[in-house]
Amino acid sequence: MELHQVRYFVALCRTLNFTRAAAECNVTQPALTRAIQKLEEELGGALLYRDRGMTQLTPLGRATLPHLSGMLAAAETARRVADDTLGRQQMHLRVGLGPAIAAARVADVVGRLARHCPTLDVHFEEGTTSLLVEAMLGDALDCALLPDADLPERLHRWRLFEECCVVLLPAAHPLAERDTLTAADLKDETLLVGQRCGGFALRLIEAGDASFTVRRCGGSWVQMLDLVAAGLGVALLPDALAIGPGLVSRPLVAPELRRGVALTVVAGRPQGMAVAQFVKLCRARAFAPA
Amino acid sequence: MPLPKLADKIAAQRATMSDELRLAYEQSVAEMLAIGAGTTALAVGDRFPDIMLPNAEGDLIAIADLLALGPVVVTFFRGIWCPYCRLMLDALVAALPEIEAAGARLVGVTPETGGLALTTKRNHGASFEVLCDVDSGLGLDCGVVFRTPMAYRALLLKHGRDLAPRHGNESWFLPLPSVFVLDRAGIVRWRYFTTDFTEQAEPDDILAALRALER
Repeated sequence: MELHQVRYFVALCRTLNFTRAAAECNVTQPALTRAIQKLEEELGGALLYRDRGMTQLTPLGRATLPHLSGMLAAAETARRVADDTLGRQQMHLRVGLGPAIAAARVADVVGRLARHCPTLDVHFEEGTTSLLVEAMLGDALDCALLPDADLPERLHRWRLFEECCVVLLPAAHPLAERDTLTAADLKDETLLVGQRCGGFALRLIEAGDASFTVRRCGGSWVQMLDLVAAGLGVALLPDALAIGPGLVSRPLVAPELRRGVALTVVAGRPQGMAVAQFVKLCRARAFAPA
Repeated sequence: MPLPKLADKIAAQRATMSDELRLAYEQSVAEMLAIGAGTTALAVGDRFPDIMLPNAEGDLIAIADLLALGPVVVTFFRGIWCPYCRLMLDALVAALPEIEAAGARLVGVTPETGGLALTTKRNHGASFEVLCDVDSGLGLDCGVVFRTPMAYRALLLKHGRDLAPRHGNESWFLPLPSVFVLDRAGIVRWRYFTTDFTEQAEPDDILAALRALER
């Protein structure tokens, strides 16, 4: 299939009107009609009903549209970034970071992108999944790294990596002498439980293998680590976070708790060039385990 | 010294097809011929799109930067799950010294994501660039993308080759085996494509096309 056929089809889906789509694409209506017919031949069926002036997508058309528009966007953003690098346009990248997901995970990707976009502005926003999803839907964020369980349908998601749960303790804590820890080891400890800390503590409590003393704490994983250092309790966090001096991290091996982290964007939302290339760079590569 | 014929290795590989696979393959090739897959491919004299894509190592590579160094050979392959593509990659690795001696750079293009471009390079000991054509945008731009015929898709799924997680989309678009030889101006000077995905360009033909550029 050809780029222009796909472009005409996507324009036609947007306008549901051959005359307007042809005008939008700067071609004659017969040329647009021919291109759509060619595409229909290649895809093996009608993409649109053309009844009495009413243009509607067929089931095949509806099923194919997201795939074709994704491919078209990939082609167009690849070209436009090449153009824009020369033009030195101001570019923005706004990335949401879900509970206890470190920017360090994607900092290298941002660095490689910035080499080609010297004027790139980067903005990170930490928050709960629901807040970040709302921000993406409201166009206040371009994309977000989120734990990939129970994400809304409207998001495209690509799992980038998996994380394991570790126990964070003061270095002087008796359990720091162990190489690994189990739920039973923690039964005399106070577990710090926060809303924005990855949910491992709640999962361990809900597993019911042992009963724990719980201390709720607001804030992010950064503040939770400060509380661990001050002796208020131990924290269960993903393994990829940088911890300060005075703290140690020990893998929790029974139960073994894991989570997947996905890059998410709002489905069907047009992306700026920097964002599109950031998403491509993230999707193209493998992320090493922490 | 002429390179070993890729066609001979491909014929040997094709002879190992099960009856089930052969039937799906023949149906798919006939279907793709009937719909004119590949007739939309960039032609000799066309300008190759000026694009930028991630490479296997996670950097963005612009075709324009490669062209500044000399002619470029762009070869699309379907993925490392494809035995014919693997034969082609081995043949290209063997031909690389001669391609580079002709002053050119070789670029492989794969629709596979999630680090599979790097796996491809490592598995084949390939030192040339392998670009990751996320969502097949470059393939579309070059007119070499087709939708995988249903019979063939079902067979791939049955054998555990689900392209959706490999591509990071549910589209099941694949590139035809195709090669474009670009002169320094980015103009296609030679091309190869086939709707029969068990066929591949002969490295000797690619080299002959490159040497013809110098004249």
